[in-house]
Amino acid sequence: MPGLDIGKAPANSVVLPFYAAGALAFLVLTTLMLLSAFPLLGGYFNPHILAIVHTAALGWGSMVIFGAAYQLLPVICENDLWHEGIAKVSFYFLILGAAFLVVCFWFFTTGLWMILGGSLVFVAAVLFLCNVLKTASGGKPFNVQKLFIVSSAVWLLLTVSIGILLAVNLRWPYISVNHLHILTLHAHAGLVGWFLQLIVGVSAKLVPMFLLGKSKKDNLLKTAFIFQNTGLVLLLLDGFFFGPGWRYLVYGLLVVIGIVFWLLYLRDVCRHRIKKPLDFSMKHTFLSFLSLLVAIAFVPVVWFGNSQKWAMLYGLFIFVGWISSLILGMTFKTLPFIVWNSKYKMLNGKAKIPLPRQMYWHKLLSVQFWIFVAGLYIIALSLIFEARLPLQIGLGLMWLTALIYVSNILKVLTHKTVILD
Amino acid sequence: MEFNINDPHYEMKMNAVTALYNVIDPELFVNIIDLGLVYDLDFSDDAKIKVTMTLSTKHCPLGDAIKQGVTNVLGMAFPERETEIEIVWEPEWNFDMMSPEGRRDLGLD
Repeated sequence: MPGLDIGKAPANSVVLPFYAAGALAFLVLTTLMLLSAFPLLGGYFNPHILAIVHTAALGWGSMVIFGAAYQLLPVICENDLWHEGIAKVSFYFLILGAAFLVVCFWFFTTGLWMILGGSLVFVAAVLFLCNVLKTASGGKPFNVQKLFIVSSAVWLLLTVSIGILLAVNLRWPYISVNHLHILTLHAHAGLVGWFLQLIVGVSAKLVPMFLLGKSKKDNLLKTAFIFQNTGLVLLLLDGFFFGPGWRYLVYGLLVVIGIVFWLLYLRDVCRHRIKKPLDFSMKHTFLSFLSLLVAIAFVPVVWFGNSQKWAMLYGLFIFVGWISSLILGMTFKTLPFIVWNSKYKMLNGKAKIPLPRQMYWHKLLSVQFWIFVAGLYIIALSLIFEARLPLQIGLGLMWLTALIYVSNILKVLTHKTVILD
Repeated sequence: MEFNINDPHYEMKMNAVTALYNVIDPELFVNIIDLGLVYDLDFSDDAKIKVTMTLSTKHCPLGDAIKQGVTNVLGMAFPERETEIEIVWEPEWNFDMMSPEGRRDLGLD
């Protein structure tokens, strides 16, 4: 049938608000980090740190990931996005919920406003899950990438649910076990369930596309799925019913084995790729995978060490090294193409038109990469040696990274159609 | 894609290929002929050009733009004919289908 399996990309009005809001949230995030340089040298259960983490997880990470997922779900599920209207509505719930939560944490205003913020994010997660389930169920019967995306959306809902229970507990304590202990479970449901599984699913589809490489070893991904989910389910059940113990390390090991299987799959793609040179988008991506391994290496140190700085380093490499680096790179593999498609689709072949990579300052991407790398490692070393001035320099570099990123995003979003000579 | 010089539509097919060199895959920056995405051109119907082609990825968001590009260039080269495009997935596109020029443009050789 002519036209079968031709992608009908979602409207720009569905996807672009997520990218724009996410970019602004990254600037807010790095500004808050700069303002909170000294609390970063203390413990993680601190109002400013909680505000920073929720800016990173919801305003920045989840915001861009929602937008990218709505664009990429049709590619992964080989089916049109189920409901564009619901996707648009989810944006308002997510941005309002994230804003309420961040402000409430920053000023540590517990109670109804914080619970309302969590509830708005909950609605956004429900709407996202509906779109994922309906889009996934209508397409090709099964692929493991689809399984990861569906699973990640379910975990997001569970993570937000636990978060709301914690928000209630902060104001009206009712949970008999230690609040910080449940907070750890909430954080890891989000990191391993939501972020990791979504990133695994999307990367398993996109990295082969971008590198022109293919792997036939889908079993590596299936094994990764089993290990990651088994480890996480055991962690949550054991943690909730019996409390923390040495068994956490065993469950962590299961998740790590799952991560290793995913990385082995990506290595196989890289070995069979035909596009050899890596551009700066892909360098950002591989730096993010490296940062994830660094974060994992900190887990035993966090467990056995007696300083909270190791937990801060773990968080740094997760939220900045892994999630942020990935988004900083992948944005330029998706956003310019989305805008190009709406501006130039009808002109393709008719006139000389710019390519997607000509819609942003391409050279600035390499500057962004190196400033980001310098910032990340200066912050990490400053946390280890508890050095205040270098920490502020590193945070300043991260703020500069955000400024460069936002300026490039604005350039793409405000692009006007041009015909080249 | 190869054409027989004895094919009565040989010249039109060569003109169509020349026009299709102007359709670029925006992700790879290579034209669709050198990528090997076009499998067949059929001029047997006097009112139509039937293009049989594929895409590098199923449900690719840019697939519609590439298809529009094919309609645009063939519409300009053959204004008296309507362009009909059939997207097929068999044989599945692979890197071996690229021409030496396509591989060079991608920096592979």
